[in-house]
Amino acid sequence: MKERSQKEVWRLTPWLTLALLLGNFILMAYDARNESNERLLRVWVQTAANFVQSPISGASSATGDFFRSFYELRAAQEENVILKQRVEQLEFEVMQRTQLTDENDRLKGLLDLRSEFSYKILPARIISRDPTTWFDTMIVNRGSLDGVKLNNPVVSGGGLVGRVTAVSPLSSQVSLISKSRVGVGAIIGELGSSNAIGVVSGDGRREYLEMGYVPGTIEITKGDTVYSTGQDGIYPAGLKIGQVFDVRNGSSTEPHVILLKPTVRFDNLREVAILFYEPPSRPRFQTSVPNALVGEKER
Amino acid sequence: MEQIKITILLVTAILLQWTAGNVWQPLSHIDFVLIAVVYSSLQRNAIKAIFFGAVGGVAIDALSGGLIGSNGFTKTFIAYLVSEISRRFNMDNLFLKLSVLAVACLLDDLIFFGINFLLGRIPTSPFAITLAYNFIATFAVGVSLFFLIEYLSARFGPKGESFSGARRGKKSIELR
Repeated sequence: MKERSQKEVWRLTPWLTLALLLGNFILMAYDARNESNERLLRVWVQTAANFVQSPISGASSATGDFFRSFYELRAAQEENVILKQRVEQLEFEVMQRTQLTDENDRLKGLLDLRSEFSYKILPARIISRDPTTWFDTMIVNRGSLDGVKLNNPVVSGGGLVGRVTAVSPLSSQVSLISKSRVGVGAIIGELGSSNAIGVVSGDGRREYLEMGYVPGTIEITKGDTVYSTGQDGIYPAGLKIGQVFDVRNGSSTEPHVILLKPTVRFDNLREVAILFYEPPSRPRFQTSVPNALVGEKER
Repeated sequence: MEQIKITILLVTAILLQWTAGNVWQPLSHIDFVLIAVVYSSLQRNAIKAIFFGAVGGVAIDALSGGLIGSNGFTKTFIAYLVSEISRRFNMDNLFLKLSVLAVACLLDDLIFFGINFLLGRIPTSPFAITLAYNFIATFAVGVSLFFLIEYLSARFGPKGESFSGARRGKKSIELR
């Protein structure tokens, strides 16, 4: 312990401030150089924070669920009757689908086609949201020890949530698709039966997403479902993104501007699933053109 | 003892900032670290406040989608500014402290947004709305805490010492 006079402290303060400001500025400049959030400092702080966030998040979820269970008990009986009917209906559908899947596998085997959707799914719990409110990110309780990698897509029961942008051993940071910088290749309607292809990005508000680059000559109907195309090289095809909520019609020279209501309610998310999806490798010409980015940097 | 209290305050602020938003989303609009930094700066613990600003800011940045160091930069700057103000002016009046807190809230968000914007990590939340919510939440909680500390200091602290008692009583400051 060393004791300093106030005079000495005030003489030292501006220099210390300058040094710390400079240190922070160097950190920022280094971080700004690369889009990827994979920084050693971030990894360590995330790991340390996990020991605090996980128990608190678990306790708050348990408390919330306890009170919610009382509220939901009233509707449960009525719902039970409806669900029993639905189960019978679904059992029949499952039987039909199993037959179709078997047939599909048999035919694929004949044609020697590999399944594109053979990726594992890892359930995860959200333990924290972005502490600054300026960015749409969240932390989940699965990290590199569970096999999570950068850019793994994240989904919830309803549809696409986002992708992993930083991984620490025990937790990972997920950027939501409502974040405006992140674009998702998307199509209105089923892939193969529609040509309304565009890019979905956040519009700054979590309630809506914006879809651009859809040719103005294509007719768009409100309520149509939007799926991922898989052409962005990050997300697999066929994941539900949202439904068309509003259209600002384009023309033959101007694309439509489409507002989507996301399938996932980002504010109410508690659990998500991480897809261990490896996008198909790009053809050589795509990685060798002058403006192409290679490897992790391209995402 | 005062040093330990302030250190505990900062650690609590960081933990709250990390977890509050997940308990209830609107709580993430409260900048607990900023309140702690302004409080310690008003105590005239300039060096400690500046360190707190840098460490607390970087701890928040690491879990956020923004640039690492942007919160550290703004909070260090705010800590220095408030320390300078409390050195040059008599800040014993509670309403003066609250005014400083209000300006600090606004300045913190403005600098944070500006830095991220200039360095290409453009925040996704709408600027004016987020700024307003952050200001209201942080200021409201800050005012309540400042009043509480003032009340507790007046009731249980040494006679005649408010939470800025360090200004009048202590001529030196302990450093590690």
